[in-house]
Amino acid sequence: MALESLMESIAADIADATKTLFETMILMDLKYDDAVLVDDTQIRTDVIGMVSFTGRYHGVIALFCSKKFALKIASTMLMTELTEFTNEVKDAIGEVSNMIAGNVKTKLAAQHGDMHLSIPMVIAGEGLSVTAVNNHSAVGDTTLSCFSKDPWLMTPFISNNEMFNIGLLLRESTK
Amino acid sequence: MPKVLIIDDSAVMRKMIQRIIQQSGFLIDEFVEAGDGKEGLEKAASSNIDLILCDWNMPNMTGIDFVKALRGSGLKSNIPVVMITTESSETRIEEAKNSGANGYLTKPFTPDQLKTKLGNYLLVK
Repeated sequence: MALESLMESIAADIADATKTLFETMILMDLKYDDAVLVDDTQIRTDVIGMVSFTGRYHGVIALFCSKKFALKIASTMLMTELTEFTNEVKDAIGEVSNMIAGNVKTKLAAQHGDMHLSIPMVIAGEGLSVTAVNNHSAVGDTTLSCFSKDPWLMTPFISNNEMFNIGLLLRESTK
Repeated sequence: MPKVLIIDDSAVMRKMIQRIIQQSGFLIDEFVEAGDGKEGLEKAASSNIDLILCDWNMPNMTGIDFVKALRGSGLKSNIPVVMITTESSETRIEEAKNSGANGYLTKPFTPDQLKTKLGNYLLVK
């Protein structure tokens, strides 16, 4: 399967997995739109929750959201009002990223062989941007640089009037 | 009343599971928590645990290695273990069963799914 088609298929799995998660465990309403390719200069966020994966294909699935929305998710999961961006909030975002990636992994592994997920990583700041090292430019107050030649396939979501995105980077592993 | 040991490297997930169990009306004496399989073995050995809920992917010792170690431990080897994990392939489920897990629930799950699964091991008020 061509990489682009596979990415679109995975993006559909990401949308399904996220919808299932929000309906079953997080109990927040959710709408989403079609995934689009975005280059790294277009990504600006406060919080990134990411899981990388390896196997026949390798890449990253990442949740990009505001601190406000991260607090909302964590508060809903714990059924308590959280107002400070503590390790508990980062744990919640990591777990959300993990459950979405885990769901995608199962579907991908069924078709393309075993896959392995990393432990989730959560990065939090304000106005973080994701930019290629060889095209470094400061966007926002804090700049997180990571090397990515490829564009992200980004699925936009809305929940409780807040937008967030889940992005996918994918490459076929060399044999 | 039963003591339930919850093993998951996410403190948020441990709290969520506790909350759902309490809201489901199950009679529970105490929840005990562990952040990985190694800590889980220590807690299982030192407390009178009646049911273990265990994640798969954890640092230090995975859930599957925990189950194997528990079943090979002798004294506490018969405590029921339900795995609660994002690993949802048939291969993993089979591996868990063959290693000695009694039940399996994949994340994400609904409160009703957890209630149904644990209804085999816990009583409702």
